[in-house]
Amino acid sequence: MSITTTSGLGPMILQSLAPAMLYVPTPTMNYITICDKVSMPANGGTTCRFMRPRALTPPTIQLGNSGIDPAAQVPQRDIIDAQMAFFGTGCIINEQVILQDQEGVLAWVSQRLAVAMRQAEDLILRDYILSAASEINAAGGSNGDNPTNLGVSDFSLVAATLDTNNAYKFMSGIEGMDRFGTGPVRSSYFMLSSTELQPDFDALTGSGFLSQWQYPANTSALPSEYGNVFNIRILTSSEAPVARGVSANSRDVYYNTVVGKQAVTHINQDGFSMNLIYRDPYYSGMLAQNATLAVKFAQAQAITQDTAIRNLLCTRAGN
Amino acid sequence: MSEYSKSARGSFTSTGAAKIINLPFQPNLIKLTNYTALATPANHGVPYASWDIAMGQGFAALTLFNATPAMTGGVITSNGFSTFSAGLALQYGAKQQIIGATAANPIVFNVTAHGYSVGDVVMFQGLYQTATTGMPQLSGIPFVISAVGDADHFSVVWPGGGSNYTALSGSPVGAFVKKVLYPFLYAPGVSFIEAITTGTTTTVVTTDPHNLSVGSEVAFRIPKSWGTIELNSLPNVAIPGSPIYGYVVSVTNSTTVVVNINSTGYTAFTTNQTVASVPGLSFPQMLAVGDVNTGGLAISAGSPLYPSPLVNGVSTINGPAINGAFVNNTSQGFIIGLGSAVSDASSHLVGANADVLYWEAYLTDM
Repeated sequence: MSITTTSGLGPMILQSLAPAMLYVPTPTMNYITICDKVSMPANGGTTCRFMRPRALTPPTIQLGNSGIDPAAQVPQRDIIDAQMAFFGTGCIINEQVILQDQEGVLAWVSQRLAVAMRQAEDLILRDYILSAASEINAAGGSNGDNPTNLGVSDFSLVAATLDTNNAYKFMSGIEGMDRFGTGPVRSSYFMLSSTELQPDFDALTGSGFLSQWQYPANTSALPSEYGNVFNIRILTSSEAPVARGVSANSRDVYYNTVVGKQAVTHINQDGFSMNLIYRDPYYSGMLAQNATLAVKFAQAQAITQDTAIRNLLCTRAGN
Repeated sequence: MSEYSKSARGSFTSTGAAKIINLPFQPNLIKLTNYTALATPANHGVPYASWDIAMGQGFAALTLFNATPAMTGGVITSNGFSTFSAGLALQYGAKQQIIGATAANPIVFNVTAHGYSVGDVVMFQGLYQTATTGMPQLSGIPFVISAVGDADHFSVVWPGGGSNYTALSGSPVGAFVKKVLYPFLYAPGVSFIEAITTGTTTTVVTTDPHNLSVGSEVAFRIPKSWGTIELNSLPNVAIPGSPIYGYVVSVTNSTTVVVNINSTGYTAFTTNQTVASVPGLSFPQMLAVGDVNTGGLAISAGSPLYPSPLVNGVSTINGPAINGAFVNNTSQGFIIGLGSAVSDASSHLVGANADVLYWEAYLTDM
């Protein structure tokens, strides 16, 4: 009796493509979230200029009875300039790939290009903020490093600094509700932090940290929101900046950007913020063999309220 | 040459220092011709050099003149040609052990075969001689290298002679230095302050290039222990809530500016922080917050009509912008290094000062 097995009569085609693509690990992009958005017009030159009036001196001296007017004030303004820059990337795809591959190559490559562009937009903002915003080293932790790990006093200090600077908070508070394990959330600035710091935030539970799931209602919470400490709501991302091994004691240094409204402005030019460009193989050489897919965008950025932003540097309690 | 290959060419006059060539691509093939070395053949001259990506970063194949002088072959195995992609911050070179450092100004560091050049930006970590002595106050501040004594010594400007600083010796555990690979991707930005001279105007010295221009508007963030807190943009006693800013009225050099704030009678600036205060110590900073300029960079003889903004004294690849504007300085391209042929330590890839060199760079499809 012979049994026919796949050793003798195997399938002619050994594989079939699973019906859905696997996901692409992609960081949450928090930096664009906190930006003001401005569009520069076409034919508007290379540089976007912002104007911020300065406060006039409040007239706290009484006029008296002389009948003589006080000296006039000269209004002043601050000017902030940011130069537009252009970015782009693309792929050259041979027609045989498009013809023969089983999956929709052009579709998923388009998708990846779009995500790459959005991630570039966020990374540019991240690195610009690193270069242009002032720093405070955390001092409230107990690891003895410089900066220290985060203590609740660091959150309090940075929020007090921004409050003293008359920065505007992003979020109004959430009133407490009669729900077990929840607590009210203060009106807050945003802090953009690394996902690697989440254990350190958790360690502050009971001394100031409130997980997003402990908000009385988390309808206003952003997808990347991890929780809240005093007047700061924390957004985490794996792409938040970390300087590896550069603290006084060779720990990793984390840059936590604490911002109020209008602190950072993202600028595009005449809607040139996203161009997906497909060129048919017809436009390539003599035999029209290669298609191209590309993205291109223009972006500038500026710290438009330097008093409403601080980079709070910290290390971790461990490592 | 296939359809999508890229090529570029150019020339420059050598200063004897490594030469950065910005391109819209990172080449995989480079050719270099030293016209001066060919015009006047002499021992150690490097008339031709080339590089292929398969050789590896820092390598080169070259011809050089021997003592006759006749052309002979050679290779470079470090500091030859290398490509770069300056697009993301917080990238550092290799961590190097610090053997010792002087408690003086400038501070001279002893690091075996450091490989640094004047103008490089470095950061220190550790710098404890014991738990309570050393100079850990410098950790985390970017410093520009002000002088290179020899292959094992370099200097940075900082008042290391203060009573709270003690010299390092005997390769302290955890005392390291790293090169900041791309320190000025965006400019102008935050600078750390090394010295402040008060008076009718205020002179500020920074630890690395400030990238400010005349007309730049600046703010200060000076923690109380460093002294001159009156410069801080807030609080403002005269108009509560209104930030105090100053304008740069003179740029002395890449690390020194004069600001129009009358600081007469302000608290003296001090860097003499105690070692015990280091955990949680924040640093004094000056940051660009705007500018009052209305035109682009002034043209000079031979320059383009609308020159690009400069960052750290080097032209960016941008179009024209308002002088002092926030600009993007990300870039890519290749570097012609200072490397010498393995067989001739006196030869240099980038040539001697005033040599005229021509380069070609390619990114080939196949």
